[in-house]
Amino acid sequence: MNIHSFDQLTSLEIDTLREIGSIGTGNAATALSTMLGREVRITLPEVRIMGYNEAIEWIGGPEAVTAGVLVRLSGQINGIMLSVQQMEFVNLVFQSMLGTTIESYEELGELGKSTLVEVGNIAISTFINALAGLSGVSVELTVPAFAVDMQGAILAVPMAEYGGMSDYLMTIGGNFVCDNKQVPCRLLLSPDIRSLNFLLQKLGVAE
Amino acid sequence: MNEKITVGIADMKLAKGSGILITYALGSCIGLCFHDPKLKLGALLHIMLPLNMEAGRKNPLKYADTGIRETLRQMESRGGARSRITVKIAGGAKMFEVNGGNLGNIGQRNIESVHTILRKENIRLVGENVGGSVARTLLFDVDTGQGCIRSYGKQDIIF
Repeated sequence: MNIHSFDQLTSLEIDTLREIGSIGTGNAATALSTMLGREVRITLPEVRIMGYNEAIEWIGGPEAVTAGVLVRLSGQINGIMLSVQQMEFVNLVFQSMLGTTIESYEELGELGKSTLVEVGNIAISTFINALAGLSGVSVELTVPAFAVDMQGAILAVPMAEYGGMSDYLMTIGGNFVCDNKQVPCRLLLSPDIRSLNFLLQKLGVAE
Repeated sequence: MNEKITVGIADMKLAKGSGILITYALGSCIGLCFHDPKLKLGALLHIMLPLNMEAGRKNPLKYADTGIRETLRQMESRGGARSRITVKIAGGAKMFEVNGGNLGNIGQRNIESVHTILRKENIRLVGENVGGSVARTLLFDVDTGQGCIRSYGKQDIIF
């Protein structure tokens, strides 16, 4: 049976998505470790199905400024994947790769921006490669897009994209842990409902 | 300063006499400030998509067409008159330069839809700050009908 809305997912299906999230984010953390030259692990990933306003509270309020890298998925899975990079994460990356830190996003130069795009893109691609390999689906990714702005508006991008189908936003993602400190880099995958049904079928858990 | 009344996404709030209505971080979404100056009746609507094509229509405020009509209905039931009601809008940005997707540029389509529906409903559009690529927080004073836009790294805009 196909679902029509994210809130119809069964607990088995949610567990399966969490497992996908776990493998995807785990691979992304390994890629980051290599890039940063220090150990990056991942917290237990979460699958969340939230109303719009709940999702924005969850990420830390609408007006906080953050960097976001966005990639669009097409092929057998349609969706949006976002890497939301809050200041702590940005400085972790900058310290490891550029040897500097910044106080606010206004100090981001061209080098800083392209570094964040690259880090976000590698985390996202690694996640999607793991998902594709595991479920045997083929997924194409667009070139990453980058924005620094209020995170409410960044999160509203996947919401608006699928808003005609659902009053809920589904996200699969987690936080990175580096030097025993939890760093809020959120990798969020928001598939459309048809793709989600297809993915669950491929994984053999759709009823 | 009065207590601010927060309007969420796909949401609308009314206030009469005085009060500040606020909605945060409009990206491709659009915030609409409805004002009846005679009654000092104001409403702030935060829509997300251009047209309601849902079968169930559970959430009219999510869409420009049903959201505008529902807001006008509620204002009229409080004595507001269409001949007096004016609207100011903000939002409709494109947050990421990325191609593809089912909907193309949602922000632009939201702007066009809002324009069309206001025209159809004979409501005057008296101010707008739309498009571009920055998020906007919109404040609306129901007493004066004045709107204020806050964006990251920019000066506030009064309109």
